[in-house]
Amino acid sequence: MDALQYWIQGFSVATMPMNLLYAFIGCILGTLIGVLPGLGPAAGTAILIPVTFSLDPIGGIIMLAAIYYGAMYGGTITSVLVNVPGEAASVITCLDGFQMAKQGRGGPALGIAAIGSFIGGTFATFSLMVVSLPLATLALRFGPPEVFALLVVGLSLVTGLSGRSLLAALIMTLFGLLLSMIGMDPVRGAPRFTLSIPALYDGVGFIPVVMGLFGVGEILLSMEKPVLEIIKTKLTDLLPKAKEWKLSAGAIGRGTIIGFFLGLIPGIGSIIPTFLAYVVEKKVSKHPEKFGTGVIEGVAAPETANNSYANAAMVPLLTLGIPGSPTLAVLMGAFIIHGLTPGPFLFKEHPNVVWGLIASLYLGNLILLVLNLPLVGFWAKLLEIRYQFLYPGILLFCVLGAYSLNQSVFDVGIMIGFGVLGYIFRKIDWPLAPTVLALILGPMMERNLRTALEMSGGDLSILVTRPISAGLLIVAAVVLLTPAVRLVGKRAGKDEGG
Amino acid sequence: MKRAWQIMCVAFIAVSALTILFSFGYPYEDKLGFGPAFFPVWLSLITGALALALFIQTTWGESVVDLSATLLPDRQGLWRIFLILIALLGCLALLEPLGFRITLFLFLLALPMGLGAGNWWVTLVIAVAGSFGVFHVFYYLLKVPLPVGMFGI
Repeated sequence: MDALQYWIQGFSVATMPMNLLYAFIGCILGTLIGVLPGLGPAAGTAILIPVTFSLDPIGGIIMLAAIYYGAMYGGTITSVLVNVPGEAASVITCLDGFQMAKQGRGGPALGIAAIGSFIGGTFATFSLMVVSLPLATLALRFGPPEVFALLVVGLSLVTGLSGRSLLAALIMTLFGLLLSMIGMDPVRGAPRFTLSIPALYDGVGFIPVVMGLFGVGEILLSMEKPVLEIIKTKLTDLLPKAKEWKLSAGAIGRGTIIGFFLGLIPGIGSIIPTFLAYVVEKKVSKHPEKFGTGVIEGVAAPETANNSYANAAMVPLLTLGIPGSPTLAVLMGAFIIHGLTPGPFLFKEHPNVVWGLIASLYLGNLILLVLNLPLVGFWAKLLEIRYQFLYPGILLFCVLGAYSLNQSVFDVGIMIGFGVLGYIFRKIDWPLAPTVLALILGPMMERNLRTALEMSGGDLSILVTRPISAGLLIVAAVVLLTPAVRLVGKRAGKDEGG
Repeated sequence: MKRAWQIMCVAFIAVSALTILFSFGYPYEDKLGFGPAFFPVWLSLITGALALALFIQTTWGESVVDLSATLLPDRQGLWRIFLILIALLGCLALLEPLGFRITLFLFLLALPMGLGAGNWWVTLVIAVAGSFGVFHVFYYLLKVPLPVGMFGI
C-alpha cells in the first residue's frame, strides 16, 4: 500500500460516526482538563484512561489523543483569564494574554489562540502524515544499540532542558530508571526488587505515578493558596480586528514552523517551543518593548507553536515509540493498555489504528476550533467553581482512575505516595518530567542495552563503533555537557575579571 | 531551601545504597550475558555519585538553590494539605471494605466541609452525585470495575 491509500484508510476510520463522537467527547474533556486549575494534561489524560476501557482500541486512542490536544488548548483559557497556566506550555501566554484580558481584550486573545492552534495543529498533522511512514521504515532498521542510543538522546534532552540544576535533573532521571527496575526483569523475566509484594510483580504502575506526581502533587501545591482571582473580561468579540489579524499572521506562521520542528525532537518538551516562538516574535517585532503589555503576537505565536508541537510530537511517539513529554508518555501507556505498542511495528501491524489516529487529529483540530470559540464563556464560568468542591472532585477521579487500572488499592496508595513526593519535588524545584519519561522508557532502555551487549559478547564499544548509535550518543553528550562547559566558562570569566 | 536540597541528596544516596544492597540478591552476570543486577547496580552507583556531587555543590559550592523561596506554607495552607492527605488515606483504608460509593460519599462530604465549603445542602447533593452518580456512570455505563463493599453497596 502506498501513502495515499493509508491516508484514505485513515480518514475512513476517523470519520466513522462513533470515532467522530469519541474525538468530540475527547476534545470537550481535554479542554475541561486544561481549564480546571490543579489538573494538568498529563494527570488529566491519565485520570480519563478508564473512560476508554469499554471502547475498542482505535476509539479509545482517538479519544485519549483528543483529550491530549484539547488539554493543550484548554490551558490557554486559564492563562488569559486567571494568569495561571493550565499547563507548563501556556506559561508564556500569561505575559500578554493576561494583560489583554485586563484591558478588556480577553476575547480576541482567546480567539487568536484558537485560530492559531488550529492552523499550527493542522499543518503539523499534515507534515506528520508525510514524514511518519519514511521515518518508521528507517526506524525498522535500528538494532538494539541504536534504539538504546536514541533513548539516551531522548532522556538527555528532557534532562538537559529541565530545572535549575542539571545534577538534580539527572538524579530525577535516574530515579525514574531505578523505579522502572522494580518488577519483572525485561530480559530474563525474573522478579526483581518486588519485596515479595505481588502487586509489584508488574512493576510500579506508571499511570498512578503520573496521577500522583502531576495530579495529587499539583493539588497539594494549589492548596497553599487556593483562591484564584478571575478577570472579568468581555468575551463576546472573539474574532480579532483587521489590524490584529495582520499582526498575528506572521506570528502564526513562525509559531507553526518552530512548533513543528521542535516537536520532531524526542524529549524536547512543550515549554521550549512556546518560549522560542515568543522570543523570535519579540526579536522580529518593530516594537519589542511592548511585549508583556498585551500584544496579540505574544499570544498568537506561543499558542500556535504549542499546538503545532503537540501534533508534531506524535511523530517520535508513533514512529520510534519515544514519548516527548509526560502527557505523551501517558498516551503511550494508554496504547499499551489497549494492547498496542507505539513504534515502527505499529505502522506494519495496526495501520488502521495509526492512520485513523492521524486522520482524527485533523478532525480534532477542527472540532476544537468550532467547539471553543462559541464555548469560551462557558469554560470561563467553570473557573468560578469553588475550590472546596473542585479539588475533592478532581481527587475523586484520581482515586477512581488509579484503582480501576488493576482493581488495586495498592495503586491508590502508590498515587498518594507519589502525590506527596510530587509536592515536595515541586516545592524544592526538582523537575518531574525526567522521572516520568525514564520510568516508562527504563525497561526498553535496559532490554536494548543488555541485548546489544549480548550481541557484542559484553563489549561496550558496540555502542560507539556503529555510526548511528555513535552519532546519537555524541548528541546526548553535547546536550548534557553544554551546560557544564558553559558554567565552567562563566566561572573562568568571573575569576579573570577578579 | 538549602537544607531541603541537602536532605533530598542524602535520601538519594540512601536509596542508591539500598538498591546496591538489594542487587546483591540477583546475578550480575550469567552464562547468557549480563544479569538482572547489571543495570540497577550501575544506575545506583551513578545516582549515589551525582547525589553526593549535588550535596557538595549545595553545601560548599556556588548555590543553584533559590534561597528566597520558603519551604513550608502558612498555617492555613498546611492545614488544608493535611486535610487532603488524611481524606485520601481514609479513602485508601475504606475503599475495599466499604466500597466506592460509601467511601467516596464520605470523602466528598467531609473534605469540602473541612475545607470550609459552608453550605451543608449543596455539599450533600454534590457528595451524592459525585459518589453514587459517578459509580453508576463508570460501573454500569462504562463497565469500569469499581469496588463494592461489605454492605453490597
